[in-house]
Amino acid sequence: MSETRATRTVVVTDPAGVHARTAVAIAETVRRGKSRVTLIKDREPVSGTDVLQILTMVTHQGETVTLEAIGPDAEAVLSELEPLFAGRFGDEAPQSV
Amino acid sequence: MKFADFICREAILAQLQASDKEGAIREMVEALSKAGQVEAEESEGIVKAILKREELGSTGIGRGVAVPHTKHPSIEKLVGTVAVSPQGVDFASLDGEVVHLFFLLVSPPDRPGDHLRALENISRQLRDDTFCRFLKQAKTVADIQQLLNEADNNQFGS
Repeated sequence: MSETRATRTVVVTDPAGVHARTAVAIAETVRRGKSRVTLIKDREPVSGTDVLQILTMVTHQGETVTLEAIGPDAEAVLSELEPLFAGRFGDEAPQSV
Repeated sequence: MKFADFICREAILAQLQASDKEGAIREMVEALSKAGQVEAEESEGIVKAILKREELGSTGIGRGVAVPHTKHPSIEKLVGTVAVSPQGVDFASLDGEVVHLFFLLVSPPDRPGDHLRALENISRQLRDDTFCRFLKQAKTVADIQQLLNEADNNQFGS
């Protein structure tokens, strides 16, 4: 499978912002995939596998994050990540904890 | 936000005794209660709320660190404590490692911004390997307090 690059800009709609659960879910999703993922807020890039870096971004509801993935499953991993910014984890109803 | 803004120094535990997740959380909430930060009759409800949150996904964020937390209506202002477990606690962490360093947070339901800023402070400081290592090696409450003070004075941090 060839390596591709995909980017997506997401607005955080989770009322709690990007909290610990979101950060862990992002890192778990990226680690499961085969692509390198970077999150960018205010031009500051952080690694998608590092919970501490993701939490250091301090992203509140209404703010924008750019996701960049490079690898064989770049588009797929971004599609998995996008719902997390809305507080949607798996099949559960939206919530903020 | 600095550690001094939300860490209750009187509730810091340098030698966490518990060896499992529930025991560790209970020990930290009891320390907050003894320090007068949490009403005694609310302690059990807070422990249960934190455990319920853990069921959604562990707050063991890797590098031997966990940030168990909850919102609770009995709390008016974000409060937290730090605990060091010399033997480590199995917390079902992201990286499978046992947890030696805990930051427990309890926040009012209507202040998600404060919670995020506290998490940011914890995360930013822990990105410094020296701070993280020294904190895990701390043997006394005074050692921990000193490290938190130094972090608040920008002597660590990336």
